Amino acid sequence: MKRLLTVLLVLMLVPVFAMAFTVTMVTDTGGLGDQSFNDGTWRGVEMIAEEFDDVEAQVIQSNEQADYVPNLSKAAEMSDVVVAVGFLMVDALEQVAPQYPDVYFIGIDFDLSAAGIPNVKTYTFKEHETAFLAGFLAGAMSESKIVGFIGGIPVPAVVKFQIGYQAGVKMYNKLHNENVQVLIGYTQNFTDSQKGKTMTEAQYSQGADIVFAAAGLCGLGTFEAAKEKGEGYYAIGVDVDQDHLAPGKILTSAMKGITAAAYMGVLDAYEGYFTAGHEELGLEENGVQLSEMKYTKDIIPQWILVEIAGLKAMAKDGEIDIPATEDELKAF
Amino acid sequence: MNILKAILDAFANPIFYSLTLSAATPLLFASLGGLFSEKTGVTNIALEGIMLLGAFSGILGTALFGSPWIGIILAMISGAAAAALHAWASINFQANQIVSATAIILLAQGLTGFLLEPVFGKPGSTEIYDKIPKIELKFLGKGSFLYNMIGSLSPFVYLALILVVVSWFIIYKTKLGLRIIAVGENPEAADTLGVSVYGIRWFGVLMSGLLASLGGAYLSVGELGQFTENMTNGKGFIALAAMILGNWTPKGALFACLLFGAADAMNEQLQSNPSLAIPSSAKPLFNLIPFVITLIVVAGFVGKTRSPAADGVPYEKKG
Repeated sequence: MKRLLTVLLVLMLVPVFAMAFTVTMVTDTGGLGDQSFNDGTWRGVEMIAEEFDDVEAQVIQSNEQADYVPNLSKAAEMSDVVVAVGFLMVDALEQVAPQYPDVYFIGIDFDLSAAGIPNVKTYTFKEHETAFLAGFLAGAMSESKIVGFIGGIPVPAVVKFQIGYQAGVKMYNKLHNENVQVLIGYTQNFTDSQKGKTMTEAQYSQGADIVFAAAGLCGLGTFEAAKEKGEGYYAIGVDVDQDHLAPGKILTSAMKGITAAAYMGVLDAYEGYFTAGHEELGLEENGVQLSEMKYTKDIIPQWILVEIAGLKAMAKDGEIDIPATEDELKAF
Repeated sequence: MNILKAILDAFANPIFYSLTLSAATPLLFASLGGLFSEKTGVTNIALEGIMLLGAFSGILGTALFGSPWIGIILAMISGAAAAALHAWASINFQANQIVSATAIILLAQGLTGFLLEPVFGKPGSTEIYDKIPKIELKFLGKGSFLYNMIGSLSPFVYLALILVVVSWFIIYKTKLGLRIIAVGENPEAADTLGVSVYGIRWFGVLMSGLLASLGGAYLSVGELGQFTENMTNGKGFIALAAMILGNWTPKGALFACLLFGAADAMNEQLQSNPSLAIPSSAKPLFNLIPFVITLIVVAGFVGKTRSPAADGVPYEKKG
């Protein structure tokens, strides 16, 4: 019986693998459901599978970092394209990809171009560009003329969010001859939501009325603090559209286009246009953007939205060079 | 001199005091829990895991029955259950107490992380549910300094403070307390005099489960109305440190927890103070303030702390 089943299974699988174009995504330890890059990447992979009948999408979840190498190898053996998600996969991918020269590898949120592997394409994002627009919005909306930023651990992506946010506030100050200040704090982790909440309360008490949290799950504490504090106090979300988590209290979310990157990468490989190397996606490539502000559109004055649209257009055309480092910010 | 001004700013800010209290509360519950356990001679480093279970069950109860108060009850049940596991292994079977407690921490982390998806439908965090409303002291005048300081606190804060007094009373003013101390100092002698060593130790460990899970429930149903994966983030261990710093007394634990809470609140105020021009790469250093203060206090101000003599030593019943 068991053998019969095995034979049947093999018979069922063979035609699928023989004909279909298989895409396998390997998650990082965050796994599906993290409301951030794993979910976002999977959405992009799924979109391709929905669009083309002969594309099969599947996912392998990693429970710990030691799983990355075996999972990537397993994925490579059974598919045409492997999508590796998250900054922490960079070493594993560098190790596995050269062993499977016929398989395309797509890496999200890290840059492996220095290794020069011909079947690897990686994507990162210009977090500072979306944060720039969020910062401008915060500066313009602040009644108290003080806004806050809360980061998790200062990894490159979080620091870029911070610098871009400060630059956005600076831009508002320059254009409107104001002096909006930015308070900055780091919780030094991505999980302690109580700390996110108390730090937000601390910033509110120091005069801030809008706080942008780029701190993973700590951000949920920031939203709660905004809700408790009531009228006139807001938060800003990060990575994906978080606006629905506290409708009306989250002005906008500074999103990065993880889904679009996964979609584009897989599409290129499917259509035969795969190019190895690295791409950094910003406003110009629609790789980062603000959320649609579903719940807050009506409370934000029209002129602010118009100016943000203008800034976005200028940044796209390269007329504004949005800073990504502390030094560039000083010079900005 | 900017730093001095920034510190004074923090002290002059009423929110500093309310943040101190809310940061100290979960630590205080867990410290008192640890105190009961260790007074009877059983170390309990599982506080971290029990808090996490408490936080999870609190939200689970709220989600299932629609009331955060039932959530608290469920949290206490799960805390007691985890503590019973620890008691059973370390008292009845004389297992190594550190090992059995570590197992509970790992179990709690694994279980709560895993159950999120089947129970709440998504990993990482739950939806937002009702939480225990804060006690508003309106007579202080909304917006006044005193109101901002203590006018809007969670009932958990008051409960924790009351429990300090209750714990002190139980341990130092009752017959039960005398037995607790006797068993923790010299179980052989206590046994000879007819005190049930196992019974007293079971009581101590169960109390630690009940109290630590309340500390966890405060985080979820008291503060956020939501459970997020690994949300205790080491608070159980800090509570353990507070208990030791407080020299295994309820009053000492209170002061130690307030100190940790104040250090944390100070950290938050200083980091965000705009008059201190600190590069953001140095900001995470401020998160070390609580630990630096601990070192200074332990080295400079507190005399030698002394644990119960039989703390951590399994007791084998004679005959």
